[in-house]
Amino acid sequence: MQLLAQVLVNGVLLGGLYALMALGLALVWGVLNIVNLAHGALIMLGAYVGYYLFTLLDVDPFIALPIAMVVLFCVGYLLQAGILNLIARAAMFNTLLITFGIDVVLTQLAQMLFSADYRTINPGYAGANFMLFGITLPWVRVLAFAVALLLTLAMWLFLLHTRLGRGIRATAQNLGAARLYGVSPKRIYALTFGIGAALAGGAGDLYGVVSQINPYIGATLTAKSFAIAIIGGLESPLGVVVGGIFLGIVESLTALYIGPTFVDVASFGILVLVLIFRPNGLLGSTT
Amino acid sequence: MTLRTKFVLALAATLVLAALPWFAPPTLVQFGIATLLLATLAQGWNIIGGFTGYASFGNSVFFGLGSYGTAIAMVQWQLPFGVGLAFGVLLSVLFALVMGIPVLRLRGHYFAIATLALSQVMTAIVSNLEIAGRNIGLVLPLLNGDALFYELSLAVLVLATLTIFWISRSRFGFGLIAIRENEDAAASMGIDTTRYKVLAFALAGIFSALAGGIHAYWITFIDPVSAFDLSLNVKMIIMTVFGGPGSVLGPVIGAFVLSAISETLSTEVSSVASLFFGMVIVAAVIFMPRGLADLIRRFRKTGWRYFSENVRSHRL
Repeated sequence: MQLLAQVLVNGVLLGGLYALMALGLALVWGVLNIVNLAHGALIMLGAYVGYYLFTLLDVDPFIALPIAMVVLFCVGYLLQAGILNLIARAAMFNTLLITFGIDVVLTQLAQMLFSADYRTINPGYAGANFMLFGITLPWVRVLAFAVALLLTLAMWLFLLHTRLGRGIRATAQNLGAARLYGVSPKRIYALTFGIGAALAGGAGDLYGVVSQINPYIGATLTAKSFAIAIIGGLESPLGVVVGGIFLGIVESLTALYIGPTFVDVASFGILVLVLIFRPNGLLGSTT
Repeated sequence: MTLRTKFVLALAATLVLAALPWFAPPTLVQFGIATLLLATLAQGWNIIGGFTGYASFGNSVFFGLGSYGTAIAMVQWQLPFGVGLAFGVLLSVLFALVMGIPVLRLRGHYFAIATLALSQVMTAIVSNLEIAGRNIGLVLPLLNGDALFYELSLAVLVLATLTIFWISRSRFGFGLIAIRENEDAAASMGIDTTRYKVLAFALAGIFSALAGGIHAYWITFIDPVSAFDLSLNVKMIIMTVFGGPGSVLGPVIGAFVLSAISETLSTEVSSVASLFFGMVIVAAVIFMPRGLADLIRRFRKTGWRYFSENVRSHRL
């Protein structure tokens, strides 16, 4: 019982970070209809921003978080304004291909600049934890979970209540009508992709604190983000949080009761089942 | 060019390629095997992606099942290579039928992601199977005969290309193109879309599995990560799109050109080769989204405006 509770808590904590990872992907997908295969590479870049700020300048990873987000916002804005806007109306697999090309370029550049070695962001409090009802809670994971949820909430409020957020939602619903109401699509597209990249950057910084990073982590993270976005649905940040926590719990339970080598069978198997039976996500409408 | 001259030219090119092992150095023959297998994979993707318009990321599963089918039959059951190859193809076709029916109901990005997830699931399942050597993989018996592997690969590529030539002129092929252009309209014209799509998926599976089986016996070693490698699937897509999706020879030309570029680069400066590959993808999608086949056809008329017109018609 104790073990089960511990595993569930681990899963939930992991799930919060997963949700933040997938949030940017879901936003870009829902609004721009771009399935960004370079999303994991952006998370990877965010992790390296956090890593270098910590190792070279001794900046705490939680203070580095907004810096990583700003840097990645700029990267994302430039990618969309400079490259992706050029193919906004092209066929679906051309957008898949081009983001894959960007993924390759970013990964190779990262390997040339940062080397292929494994790195971790290792602040002094990395090993510290506290007990609650007999369950061990590592401080970093709890903090990362809280920050991830806060960012998701901020994102939700931003989309609901700001002028720019309404512009983004309008663009997602109907580009033509949004244009008639004075929304400039080029700017909205670049800003939305920038925000998506900024969320990836924040997730990457937190990921570097709880896990090891190298230039090749991107592909797996993209795949996980997909799974979460699909399971949660693209409609609201809330769905993504549910999807992230769901996947975190499934992975932890599978690793404990079936075996760590079956984690991918479970998470991607669920993804396929959700796609076949509930293509709008677990929470989405069935029509 | 009439069809007859095209056919004669293709035949001549095939004969020259077939004679290659007798005068070329061994390294070139090995490069040839790898390229011919890639071209076969690209042709397989061309059937489901190029003709039918379904961006499959599951073709690397066919390749992996072909590899593992061959390896399991040869290593665990001591069967000859031919039987192993047939077993790999059978596994692949079964996979196409069983998974194709539910997954091919999904459209657009959802199909792409479902197949992507399937390839992850298959990698994970195979790395837990005792008979497949778990995550260590299998070692196949050694056969020194690059010339033999070369001719075999060439034969499979020719078979794939002839099949696509037949598809492009058959009722079946027109059905697939109709599905690509407008699936609802195709269904209302009386095309049994599910049957057509599953058949196309299975056909793609046959050729990809053949390439996988030959590759496994040639390399003599397979493991789950390399057999179900997703980047191989992306290579198939890039080569097809670069050459011209939905054309008969485009994917073959795309595979030859891109392999040659990639090989030259990696012998000169290995670290930049992948970087360059990524940039080629980005540039190709922006400037020639319909591939080399379309470029060659239209460049004479429009000249350099061809590239700027492509950008203009797709930008925001």
